[in-house]
Amino acid sequence: MKEIMVKVSRFDPAKDRAPRLESYTVTVNGGARVLHVLHAIHDEIDPTLAYRFCCASGQCGSCAVRVNGEPVLACMEEARTGSVIEPLKLPVKKDLIVDLLPALAALPPIQPKDEPVMPTKQQIDAIKPLRSCIECLACVSVCPAMDVTSFTGPTAMREEMRLALDPRDARNRIPDAIEQGLFTCTSCQACWKACPKDIEIPGKAIEKLRALANRQGRTLPRHQEVAALVRETGRSVTREKPTLLEQVGEVIEPYGPVKATVGFFVGCMYNMRLPQTALDAIEVLRRNGIRIVIPHEQICCGSPLIRTGQLDYLDTLKRRNIEAFVSRNIGTVLTMCAGCGSTLKNDYRTPFKVIDINELLTQYGIEPPAHLPVKATYHDPCHLMRGQGIREQPRKLIRQVVDLVEMPAICCGSGGGVRSGNPEEAAALGSRRGEEIKKTGAEVVITSCPFCEFHIAGHTDKPVKNIATVLLEGYKEKDRKVKSAH
Amino acid sequence: MRADEGMDCHVLVLGSGGAGVRAAIEASGYGDVVLITKTIAGKGGCTPMAEGGYNAVLREQDSCGIHFEDTMKGGAYLNDPELVRTLVAESPERIADLIRWGAVFDFTENNEVAQRPFGGQRFPRTCYAGDRTGHEMMVTLIDRLGSTGVRIMSEVAALDLLKDGDRVIGAIGLDDSGELITITADSTILATGGGTRIYDISTNSASGTGDGFAIGYRAGAELIDMEMVQFHPTGAVYPYDARGRLITEAVRGEGGILTNARGERFMKRYDPERMELSTRDVVARAIVTEIMEGRGTAHGGVYLDVTHLPRQQIEEKLPVMLEQFLKFGVDIRTEPMEVAPTAHHMMGGLRITTECRTTLPGLFACGEAAGGVHGANRLGGNALADTQVYGKRAGEYAGKSEKRVKKVDPAQIRQQEQRITAFLDGKSNPAHVARELQLAMWKGAGIFRTAGDLNTTLGTIAGLSGKSLKATSARNIIECCTVQNMLLTASLVCRAALLRKESRGAHVRKDIPQNWDAQNSPFSHTYISQGREGIEKKGGAP
Repeated sequence: MKEIMVKVSRFDPAKDRAPRLESYTVTVNGGARVLHVLHAIHDEIDPTLAYRFCCASGQCGSCAVRVNGEPVLACMEEARTGSVIEPLKLPVKKDLIVDLLPALAALPPIQPKDEPVMPTKQQIDAIKPLRSCIECLACVSVCPAMDVTSFTGPTAMREEMRLALDPRDARNRIPDAIEQGLFTCTSCQACWKACPKDIEIPGKAIEKLRALANRQGRTLPRHQEVAALVRETGRSVTREKPTLLEQVGEVIEPYGPVKATVGFFVGCMYNMRLPQTALDAIEVLRRNGIRIVIPHEQICCGSPLIRTGQLDYLDTLKRRNIEAFVSRNIGTVLTMCAGCGSTLKNDYRTPFKVIDINELLTQYGIEPPAHLPVKATYHDPCHLMRGQGIREQPRKLIRQVVDLVEMPAICCGSGGGVRSGNPEEAAALGSRRGEEIKKTGAEVVITSCPFCEFHIAGHTDKPVKNIATVLLEGYKEKDRKVKSAH
Repeated sequence: MRADEGMDCHVLVLGSGGAGVRAAIEASGYGDVVLITKTIAGKGGCTPMAEGGYNAVLREQDSCGIHFEDTMKGGAYLNDPELVRTLVAESPERIADLIRWGAVFDFTENNEVAQRPFGGQRFPRTCYAGDRTGHEMMVTLIDRLGSTGVRIMSEVAALDLLKDGDRVIGAIGLDDSGELITITADSTILATGGGTRIYDISTNSASGTGDGFAIGYRAGAELIDMEMVQFHPTGAVYPYDARGRLITEAVRGEGGILTNARGERFMKRYDPERMELSTRDVVARAIVTEIMEGRGTAHGGVYLDVTHLPRQQIEEKLPVMLEQFLKFGVDIRTEPMEVAPTAHHMMGGLRITTECRTTLPGLFACGEAAGGVHGANRLGGNALADTQVYGKRAGEYAGKSEKRVKKVDPAQIRQQEQRITAFLDGKSNPAHVARELQLAMWKGAGIFRTAGDLNTTLGTIAGLSGKSLKATSARNIIECCTVQNMLLTASLVCRAALLRKESRGAHVRKDIPQNWDAQNSPFSHTYISQGREGIEKKGGAP
């Protein structure tokens, strides 16, 4: 037996203006789950605590709650002392009980064909990964798009795709899916990471539905323009100023001894829109013993095409990019764009290792920069945190140079083709980021993704900087101090 | 309270598991249907938790005759043969319904529904969707239900049936704000599931509290074979709060083996022919015997091992098991599971005909709430089939019943109002009462039974039933009603267990020597109603 203290959100809409957190200390058995803590509170302290549960074995999806902000199944999540237990972000009926019925009712039904058709094993096997959903609505609770625009939500898209794969279904699912907000998903992956059944909704449902939409000629015009540009120029953005590749040679030697050699996959945004940021990163890498090889024939990774379901030209892009690095015998390819990194890691099959700049710098360790008297907050890029599982490394680097204040990790709205395809939604999400930034009182916003940098900059009055730029400022300050000391 | 301004419908369904939803779908073809459920429809009951599979004769090499024999033999010949004949004959049609409605069962390379071996069956006839078969059925059924006009009232608990003389004319329910609701109906279907939550260690969801048995009994219906409680051989043993969680029979169906702490594959001593795929009653007793004789593991179980199977087979065929055990720190691909028996299924229940008619006019029952299909021991895979075959039948015959004028007795409403009001002045914590009951039932009415233990347990139940349960909020009222249903169901189990003075299937009376086997038993069903109780002699005559 052990003692556990938790805080639980209590709220009775009939009486209370707002939810409040109550602390409870209960004795539970070793290995107890969050549900057993709730039972202990209900059975021994306060029988009025309202929470929903049924199967208690992760199969019915009744008991999803948020623990320390993250949705979990109460029956499967091990209870930890100090946890804060709150309802899902859905309308609260009482305490931890939310109204699940509207979202469940929004799930599309099958429309069976008049003549019965039997699926094949192949079709069954394709559907199965989308079928284990227990409709707990954890995904609906974390979806940023649903907060700001009309979107039926991740699990409805999962069901549309499952039906699109099923020969027994008579309906063309694409017009419905578009109507329900297919193009509002920012591919932030929050739904996938929240899913207790690990269903990869963005990749396995939304991008696949967008690919089907593409075949039906229903890709958004703005997305088609991007695809045309990639096909024409190899790049997803137009040239407006000298690009990074025009400014650098193919091999860049570090200042000191070589700790590692990496190929550098620059990406369209750093190459053409934010070349100075890439130059800052190159300086930081040189200072830390990284030798950089930059094949100049590299082109767009294809991420803007994959996210929007335009796959025809993808194999060409992949082949040319892989060839660019393989022909130089490069074993490790560095990315500093979160989107490119996630794409190379998850959508490519590369004969080389792909490493993000934050991973690389923490792996080899960096020369300590000067600590700047600056309060900064960090925005987690979705394609870095969820796409590549990189959360701690950027923070380790940032803390060496400035003071870090945290804010909740929520999508800024720039991904998934939403900034181009649904600018109003992107702006609404960007504004929300702006508000969170304001709450932190930070003077600077740091991030590690060109899309986030570009987008957030339009929604805050604080400067938005790449981690590499901030590190470089730390080095410059260090150099200045050394110089003035002499 | 809204009790006076009640609703009326042609068919009222109580329960939203596989049987209830199937019944509602079928009944919707005959008139307006209301379904009430104390959970959210589709999330309650035990169907969404059912893992292993659905028995249906689908191949030429198999036959309904063999399925019938397997089921009768597995049920220790206590099953009602007509109910079994209907089950095996219609199970294939009902799985075809599910597949037509979009169910995603696993398929073979030949694009046929895949089947796996299950205990007590001479042919591998258990159809499955990985190890989430019931969940697959449930999402399919809920999808289908949505396309009917059935009015679904989620999180409304049935308190009792409404009666007009002998006839059942609907039910009185309670919503989550504590409001009484009356629903009159030409026919009412009890599809409330089972009740092994009356035991300390149980596979059932929170809704498995015997509500239908208690509601039916209070209305005057007759129940049969309530002593027949299936203890599933393989439930989790640790951590403590996960005890009893179902480890599907599919684990053994896929090739899992049972060993004791000495590493002996002990089933060879209990059923050398069928080994791990013997019937559940036999395997459960074997495991308990190993543990009681000191050959159990440190956590008080035995080992169930699949580490010799290919990883891919485990990942594809047992994904839920893999995921659940990983959550508790055990990788079943590399380590054995520890298991012990857990209360799983009530074979007994309301006495029904093949048309699902109970002994009360106007009342139908199907699924686990009904008795007679599974006899003294249910075969794995027959319960899901039962929900569909008898759910459909209940819906059909209830739907075909004639429309009537219903007259609600105001005294019945007043009685419920008083019942509820009394809870507000009650003293005892219902959670504590339930806990005491569960421990007493596990101790005194478990796998091995004696008259002495059963009488002691009945005494405990009587004591607990005398306590005045306390409700602090509107939501607590339902909890109090549920605990009353658990107490009543538990008393029916103990009383029936005393009536059956023999060992048969899942029911073992250690205090009674016997010189007959199941086939030659002089006894048939036990029966209990408010008016009478007893045990039938072979041939059906009391």
